[in-house]
This record gives sequence, C-alpha cells and structure tokens, in this order.
Amino acid sequence: MMNILRSIGRYVIGIFLGLGNAIFFLLEILGNIVKGKIRVQEVLKQIFEQGVQSLVIVALTSFASGAVLAMQGHVMLERFGAKEYVAHLVALSLVRELSPVFTSFIFSGKAGAKIAAELGSMSVNNQIVATRTLGVDPVEFLVVPRFVACFLVLPLLVVFSELLGIMGGYCVSVFEAGIPGSFYVTQTLRVINYVDFFSGLIKTFFFAFLIGWICCYQGFFTQGGSLGVGKYTTKAVAYSYIFVVLSNVFLTKVILALWQ
Amino acid sequence: MIEIIHLFKKLEDQMVLTDVNLKIALGEILVVLGGSGAGKSVLLQHLIGLMKPDRGSIMIDSKDITRLKERELLQMRKNIGFLFQEGALYDFMNVFENIAFPLQEHTTMNESGIRAKVKEALKIVGLEGADEKFPSELSGGMKKRAALARAIILDSKILFCDEPTSGLDPILSKDITDLIQNISRQLKCTTIITSHDMKNALRIADRVAIVFKGAILATGTQKDILSSQNAYVREFLN
Repeated sequence: MMNILRSIGRYVIGIFLGLGNAIFFLLEILGNIVKGKIRVQEVLKQIFEQGVQSLVIVALTSFASGAVLAMQGHVMLERFGAKEYVAHLVALSLVRELSPVFTSFIFSGKAGAKIAAELGSMSVNNQIVATRTLGVDPVEFLVVPRFVACFLVLPLLVVFSELLGIMGGYCVSVFEAGIPGSFYVTQTLRVINYVDFFSGLIKTFFFAFLIGWICCYQGFFTQGGSLGVGKYTTKAVAYSYIFVVLSNVFLTKVILALWQ
Repeated sequence: MIEIIHLFKKLEDQMVLTDVNLKIALGEILVVLGGSGAGKSVLLQHLIGLMKPDRGSIMIDSKDITRLKERELLQMRKNIGFLFQEGALYDFMNVFENIAFPLQEHTTMNESGIRAKVKEALKIVGLEGADEKFPSELSGGMKKRAALARAIILDSKILFCDEPTSGLDPILSKDITDLIQNISRQLKCTTIITSHDMKNALRIADRVAIVFKGAILATGTQKDILSSQNAYVREFLN
C-alpha cells in the first residue's frame, strides 16, 4: 500500500516538476523575445522551412475538406430546398472552425514534428550543450527563431487553407450542384464578416503559441539517444493535438460569449 | 590558473565526485585518467559550469565559477575552448560555418577576416579543403579536428577536451593527441583532457590525475604515475 502511494506521489510530483520546467522554459523564450533577441535571418529560414513543408498537404486537405463539405451540404440542404446556402455552410465552417483546427493538426504533424526532431537530435548529440560552451544561449539561438516562425507561419497557412477550402467548395457547387459561380462567390463574400474571420484567426494564434511551446520544449529536453528522439517527437505531436483540441473548446466558448 | 577545491557531487544517490582537489598551472597540460563512470566527464562539466557542485568551488583566474549565474557563465565560456567526445558540430552547418560561428557571435570581424581566420584554423588542424563539407560527410577523426578548430578559434587560453581519442583507431588517436599538444603549446593554453587512453595521455601530459569512483587517487608526472604503488593505478597501468 505504501509503495503504491509512494509511486502515485512520485508521479504527481513529476507532473508538477515537468509543468514548472515547461513554464520556466516558456518564460525564457518570452524573455528573449521581449528583449528583442530575435535572429531575423534564422526566423526567415524557419518560416520558409515550416511553411513550405506544410503548404502542399494543407492545400490538398483544405481543398478536399471544402469539396466534401459542399457535397454533403448540397445533399442535406437540398432536402430543405435551400441548396443555395451551400456557400454559407462551406465558408462559415471553414473560417470559424475547420481551417484553424485542421491546419493546426497538420502543422503539428509536419512542422511541429520537425521542430521536435531537430532540437531532439541536437540535444542527444550534445549540440545544445555545445552552444552553451560556445558562450551562446541555446534558447535564443535555436528555440526563439522556431517559436516565432510558428507564430507567423500558422496564421498564414490558415488563411491559405480557408481560401483553398472555399475553392474546393466552389468547384463542387459549380460543376456538380449546378450553382452559378458568381452567385457562389457573392454569397461567400457576403456571409463572412470580420467576427467570423477574426474569431478563427485569434484561435490560430493561440494554437501556434501552444504548438511552438510544446514542440520546442519536448525537442529541447530530449534524452535517450535516437530512441529518445522518436519518443519525444511523438509526445510533442500528441500533446499538440490534445492541447489544440481542448483549448479549442475553451476558446470557442469564450469567443462566442464575448463576440456573438 | 585553475583550482578545484573540495568538490563534491551526488547524482541519483551516488557520489560521482568526492572531495576533488586539483591545481592546474598556467599553460599546463593535465590529463585526467580513469575508467568509464569514474567521474571524469562530470568533473569537466563542472569546470565549464554546465553542472553545479553540491559543495566546493572552482577558481578560474581567481573567480569562483560555481557562484556565477548563467549569463555570467556564457560570458566566461567565450574564453574557454571545449572539445566534445563526438565533436558536437552543428548538423545544419558546414565545416566553415561551424568554425566561423564563435567569431560571428563574439567578435566584430568582417567576412574576409573571418574567412582568413577559419582558413588558418583549418590549416592548423589539417583540414584544408574540407570547409564546404557537412559533419555527416566527415569521418570520426575529421569531425574531431573540425571541432578542435572551433574550440580554439577564439584563441582561448583554456582548452577542455572530453575523451578526444574515444572511437578512434590507435594511429588517429596519436594524431589527435599530438595535435592537441601542439595547439596547447602554440597557443600557451591551460589544457585539461579527460581520457582512458593511458598510452597517449602519458605521452603528452605535463601531469596526470588518476580518478577512481569520483576521487583523485594519484597525481603527478609520467614518472610519478609509473612508479605509483597504488593498487588501482598499477592495475590501470597494466
């Protein structure tokens, strides 16, 4: 009995220590950003790498999601004689919910995993410690550019995803459902107001913050050689998914309460 | 001068450093010898401030580095070269960029100055022409040479080398230890090398310290060590 209690105690303490460490790490990142210690060239390099890596898959999934939404929407709405509202359904679903969340998932799986694996591999090969021995702060040199790039790339990817999703919906609506193209575009532009657009975008910034923090933290503190890199990278992606999903519930509630 | 005074460190209920006392004179080459898990690398990590001791102090140029904050340690490390066991070169930089990195970070040298300095360092370590190669394209010995060039590029007066011959064949081990000795003499560096390579250690060291279970068993010149009557030292020598 005592052993079980001791194990539970250790586990709980471990969680709190891990959380404290993660918060301290975040404060270190933010401290560097506030002091303006941002290596612009490194950030641009990271923006290019993270953005390019996710671009094709975001384009494909967004276009397909928009198309599927339009297909399903067309079938459902036609039952009520309201198939002209397909554009509304596609645009609002994508802008308010689907694009921010799905793009964040894709971004976690591609760019987030890349960040965790890169930093993890540097950690197990002593490159992070070597940075310290060279008199350079590894958080400033290796983490801040990746974190800042996340913050800048994900919102752009979300906007790109929204456009591609709407295009997917347009193609299905025009070529399959026989809705006039100009009507679809007009309806889309009319239905999206700034609240819809920015409520999705605000969430995206929050998701970018979470993904950057989680993936950089898991990568930076990777231990255990190549096995460890795999383990911590998987953890980074899994935690990113979980926190994006959970925070989305909370953020949606807050946004709806404040801004509806 | 470097002075280690009554250094103690416990890791996971195990003493890894037990009352370590050492003095290393200016320009001296000290080799810390010992088997795996003896505490050599932990000692070196304390010397560069990557670990804090439970007790004791480390004086480098009359400053107790165990009391320095991370920012002050980063400043201090600019004056110390550190050679890692596996080199720890950045994968995403080529050899030139790796060696130029400390110069770009800590000096105001222009690009041509940096290029000339890196070329000179590459010549010293015998890696001319390898500047465009990435670490993944280098052999174990070449990686260590490139890492050594990076460690000395700021003309540091202190050089720490962690197991520089591990993973190398006997000929390469001799080459690397000779290179470290030459560089230390040339730059008048105070050098501390951890190793379990007795043969090369005795060849290049001004003084040797034998570590066993975190404690210094014996220190002295090659002659002192060879004539030691300590059972572990005798076993290690044989």
